[in-house]
Amino acid sequence: MNRLERLINLVAALLDADRPLSRHELTVLVPGYDANEQAARRAFERDKEALRSMGIPIAVELLDADDPNLGEGYRIPREQYELPDPGLAPDELAALHLAASTVRLEGMGGTEAIWKLGGSTGGGAATVAGAALEGNEHLAVLFGAVSERRTVRFHYRGAARTVDPYRLAYRNGFWYLAGFDHDKASERSYRLDRFESAPEAGEPKAFERPTGEAPSRPSHPWEMGEEEARDARVWIDAEQAPWAQAKLGADAVVERRPDGSVVVGMRVTNTDAFRSFVLGFLDHAEVLAPPDLRTAMITWLREVCGVGAAGAAQLRTPRKKSGGGG
Amino acid sequence: MSPPRSNADERLRRLLALVPWVAAHDGPTLAEVCSRFDCTERDLLADLDLLFVCGVHPFTPDTLIEVDVTDGRVWIRYADWFARPLRLTPAEGLALVAAGSALLSEPGTDPEGPLARGLAKLAAVLGVDPDEAVEIELGDAPAEVLAIMREAAAARRRVEVDYYSYGRDAWARRVIDPYRVFSAAGQWYVPAWCHRADGERLFRVDRMRNPVVLAQTFEPPAEEATAIVYHPRPDDPIVTLELAPEARWVVEQYPVESADERADALVVTLRVSEQAWLERLLLRLGPRARVIDGADGVAAAAAERVLARYSGSVTTT
Repeated sequence: MNRLERLINLVAALLDADRPLSRHELTVLVPGYDANEQAARRAFERDKEALRSMGIPIAVELLDADDPNLGEGYRIPREQYELPDPGLAPDELAALHLAASTVRLEGMGGTEAIWKLGGSTGGGAATVAGAALEGNEHLAVLFGAVSERRTVRFHYRGAARTVDPYRLAYRNGFWYLAGFDHDKASERSYRLDRFESAPEAGEPKAFERPTGEAPSRPSHPWEMGEEEARDARVWIDAEQAPWAQAKLGADAVVERRPDGSVVVGMRVTNTDAFRSFVLGFLDHAEVLAPPDLRTAMITWLREVCGVGAAGAAQLRTPRKKSGGGG
Repeated sequence: MSPPRSNADERLRRLLALVPWVAAHDGPTLAEVCSRFDCTERDLLADLDLLFVCGVHPFTPDTLIEVDVTDGRVWIRYADWFARPLRLTPAEGLALVAAGSALLSEPGTDPEGPLARGLAKLAAVLGVDPDEAVEIELGDAPAEVLAIMREAAAARRRVEVDYYSYGRDAWARRVIDPYRVFSAAGQWYVPAWCHRADGERLFRVDRMRNPVVLAQTFEPPAEEATAIVYHPRPDDPIVTLELAPEARWVVEQYPVESADERADALVVTLRVSEQAWLERLLLRLGPRARVIDGADGVAAAAAERVLARYSGSVTTT
């Protein structure tokens, strides 16, 4: 007996059932299970896991609601199994197929998704540009939580978080979750690769999504922190001004100087990310304001020059040779 | 990420999607079914062979699926258990919504076209608002430069462009043959033949300025040599750094030659081909890293150059 045949018959039996069926009943009703009870049990458990791992909802219910002693059985509730028909027109399915073959999300089953919607339509060849989005192990759980409005719990930066997930965002090659943090009582963003534990999702429909005008969304690393927001002013020379403008958007430019240089405004809630961004310009940029961010930058650079000794002390390891850093 | 799938699992996934589609259509050709569900005719016939002995107990003719293959067409009947495909898993839903949102946010996509309509219908089934649930940025290169590079790559036309070398912190005019445009890790890239370097190079579109499409055309190579990921050359000088715990991201972000765990710090060695690249790295690491070997005075010199900006010269201009 072929395993695929057994799996198809098992799915059919579970979908066909109008009451939960016990493991024993199933291994008898579905051909292909060993007559030996132990072997049949192992094979059935393996099949059940295989079906669940492809997203088939196998419900576990009491065989008799009035008599818990009779044990539990299984069935597939049709309404949970079946994909509601989205009513895609052929050109809409083709457009989605083209999108899925152009922008590939690593390890996330875009091809199977297209099969379920009616299969490839041959539109995938005419790609203008390819794009590869890196995957992340937490994405599936978090997207499920976003779509079913489940509150998630996870560890991040040394603290347990409880978050109503609103949105997943992919920026600069990183995935972020944005949502309402219960303890901080405000909307925050978290980088998925910095999660310190796998997110655990609660019950569906646990919260309402905010309605109306969405607040301006953080989109840069220096906006994705938990520090109190500060408005920084950064001068950028003429050579790097166009790049900075493309990166930050024309709205960020608060002053244009005759020599072609610009002053940009940046809202900072993550000082580390802000400093890294500004230092990426080397000597093509300068922090003008606020005074404490400017002073912090000067202190940082002086430490690199070897003027300050505080940084070197932090490493607490013996110096082998005096280098440029520390 | 997910456990390896056995052959039976893979075939079952395909069948659970294929059966409802064939059952809902009046005898599609085998060729069409194969093309829609990405399989060979041989595989399809093998699966159909199996399907017609499937059903439910007691497996009498009225409880079996009926499969009819005639003249290159296929009919599936009495497969009511499989009248609809299985729901999308969250991963599959995200793959489609992410891809659709990414393309919709690209300039030039019709916001009311088939993609937008299809995405809205799909999102409704998934219970999300496509504008709210997922936001994808493929890269922030200027739209007009991106459009010119795409056109040039499609038409195989040579391009002259100002390019900023991040590694050398310098601009130069280059003539390149752009093979294609792609996005990876949130940036737009163009692998191209560079006539200035006389070799294949990987260019970042956000570091291009003033592109001009030239009249000359080119033939792209059958196979590109350009590696997407930066690989240092074996003869590049080696730098040894001691990293504090907050600076460990270096190991995740750059190819390191070696990493050695010490009591309170991590000692890594990196190959460095470009001076400005190393300067940026050392400035960003600041007091969280110490150069042990190979780059004496680089960080201090760079820091002094940047500090000169803060001596008051530019703020008053």
